[in-house]
This record gives sequence, C-alpha cells and structure tokens, in this order.
Amino acid sequence: MTARVITITSGKGGVGKTTGVANLGVSLALEGKRVVVLDADIGLRNLDVVMGLENRIVYDIVDVVEGNCRLQQALIRDKRVPQLYLLPAAQTRDKTAVSPDQMVDLCQELRHDRDIVLIDSPAGIEQGFRNAIAGADETVIITTPDVAAVRDADRIIGLIEAAEKGTPKLIVNRIKPKMVRRGDMLSTEDVIEILAIELLGVIPEDEKIIVSTNKGVPVTLDGQSRSGLAFRNIAKRILGEDVPFMIIDQEPSLLDRAMRLVGRR
Amino acid sequence: MVAGSTEDPSLLTSEIQSDHEPREALFVKRTIRSGQNVQYPGHVTIVGDVNPGAEVVASGDIIIWGKLRGTVHAGAQGDDTAMVCALLLEPTQLRIGNHIARSPEGGERDSNIPEIAHVDKRGIVVEPWNMIKQ
Repeated sequence: MTARVITITSGKGGVGKTTGVANLGVSLALEGKRVVVLDADIGLRNLDVVMGLENRIVYDIVDVVEGNCRLQQALIRDKRVPQLYLLPAAQTRDKTAVSPDQMVDLCQELRHDRDIVLIDSPAGIEQGFRNAIAGADETVIITTPDVAAVRDADRIIGLIEAAEKGTPKLIVNRIKPKMVRRGDMLSTEDVIEILAIELLGVIPEDEKIIVSTNKGVPVTLDGQSRSGLAFRNIAKRILGEDVPFMIIDQEPSLLDRAMRLVGRR
Repeated sequence: MVAGSTEDPSLLTSEIQSDHEPREALFVKRTIRSGQNVQYPGHVTIVGDVNPGAEVVASGDIIIWGKLRGTVHAGAQGDDTAMVCALLLEPTQLRIGNHIARSPEGGERDSNIPEIAHVDKRGIVVEPWNMIKQ
C-alpha cells in the first residue's frame, strides 16, 4: 500500500495554500484515509499554526533530512481526527536546507502505510517550489479569482508541465457570489477559461476561515460552514468520488439560517 | 491539394511555395502560458491559446488558432508586411515590424469573430477576418 503524494501550490502568496492543505488534510482523514500533511515552506512555516499544532513541534523536516531524528519522531499526530499527521517545516533555516532529491527520498519514505501525503508549497517559483513538487505524483493549483493570482497560477501550470508532473487540477478560493453576479469579480468560468485545466472545486469566501485560522482549528472540523463543506467535497473528489459542484451562486437563505439555528440542517 | 485531373504530372508534384520570405514555419500545438515564450525566425502557427504574460516573437507571420491574450511580435526583424491573426484577438500588446499597438482600454470587446492585424498607412489595423478582401 503506497500513498499518493499531492502538492498544493499557487505561485502567488496569500491565496489559501496553507488553509487548503490543513482543511483537505482534515477532510481526507475524516474520509478514513491515513494522511500526512507536509509543510515545505521552510523558514516561513505556517501550517502548524493554522492546524493549532505549533506547541507540539520538537523535530522538523530538516532534522529528518539531516538525520537528527527518525521520521516517526518528527511526525505530529493531530488528535482531533484519526490518522492525520503533520511534518512541520523548519523555521530557523531556509529553502536551501533541503534539496529536491532529498524531498523525493522523504516522500518515498512517507508513502509507506499511508494513503495520502499532502504537501504545502511555498509561494514563488524558486527552490522552495521546486522542492515541493519534486516528490509529487499529482499537483493541485489554488487561486483566488483575481487577475494577478490567475496570472501566477498560469505561470506555475507551465512550470509544472515543463517539470513533467502532468497537468494540475484547480481549486478556486474565496469566490464572492454577489460580486460575481454584479460582474465585479472574475467567475469560476472566467478562471477556467484562462487556465484551461480541470476544476476540483470552488471555495466560497467565508469569514469563518479567518476565525478558524487564527484559532488553529481547521474550519472543516466544525461541520457547519459552507467553506468546510466545500473542502469536504473536494476531498471526496480527490478520492475519485463524483460529487456534484455546490451551487455557490446563492447565499444561504433566511430559511436555511433559521433551520440551522434550530439545528435541523 | 491534388487536382482531379492527372494530365499534367508536374501539378501533382509541385510544391506550394510561400509568396514571400521567410518560408520556414514553426507549428506549436499547445497553450502558451504566462512566462513562456516562443521565438522563431520564420512564421509561427499556434493551435492553442496564448495567455496573458506569454510572448510570441516571429520574423514572419503569426497565426493563432485560439485566444490571443499575451504579447506578440510579428515581422520582428523589421518586416511591416507581416500579419497576426487569431480566433480571438485581444493581445496585451501587439507588435508588427516597427509598430506597436495595445488593445483598447476597457477590456471586453464583443468580438467573437476571428480577426487579423496588419500594417497600413495608418499603422496597425485590426479587421474582422471575413472583411478582408484579398
């Protein structure tokens, strides 16, 4: 049994890579998969913070690569879900502390007895990004519906294809249905029209993400929010399930909200 | 290209030559993405889109069977007779020979028809493909 290694990347920073990895990690674990999330953003580690596991870090990815500890010692178990582990990045080093070859070896080691390895890529197109895709079987591009992020996503798709990692799949993050309806925001269709790759899912803009990120509790864990549901659906699609796309275009109606308050939905 | 009649065997074998230099052409069948560039000392045909941030430079003509949203330079060695055509012609910047043009501000034109850009005495002009009378 060997895992799929999937790298989540974007080119541009701040579009939701880390939040995406945290929530997809939780979602996939909730689907019963054995999951490792790996933070490849050495020197600017965030995934541990977003997942609320920062205070449990003893060893990190550089310790593993340099042989200061065994892989098992560096893996932090997320106790809120079964079978979810974090391999944190180092904070006091930089991207050159690990080479692409070492990443390939590390990914091979992580594959054993797991189902999915999710890699959180740093922003940019330099060595950090190269490291993050070196060991990947598949890649997922996350972008927000603005021209700068889409431009960078397009660039990254070109680089991934040039690195012979196949064609990535797409997540569009932070869609605001009202703005799209007014024509003030690129729609998912506009983004796909430019990037011309397969859509994996759309995450609606959701204030709960900000709260959950600050608290270190991935939004997927609460099971109530639309963004959490969107992540759960994407996880199912990653596992090959045919889940219909959420109709993002409508805000939850008053009735929906009322029902939710009474706990019926 | 083969005529029904075979009376003149030379018709069957004669090659169709390009009317003007250069005669070499590059054929690319893929999407050209941001940061990628295609450069060729001849004509370039692309089957696929040329996305914003991508660049195509040719010393001859540029033909894009797809959406042109990046930057192109036809006749890059100073040939003002070169032309650019695309199914959707919305380049960031379009250069022919020594001329430069930008797409009109305000983005969306309701043009869904193929267009062709060339140089006349006014500079670079863009015309719908079906309006061109050879």
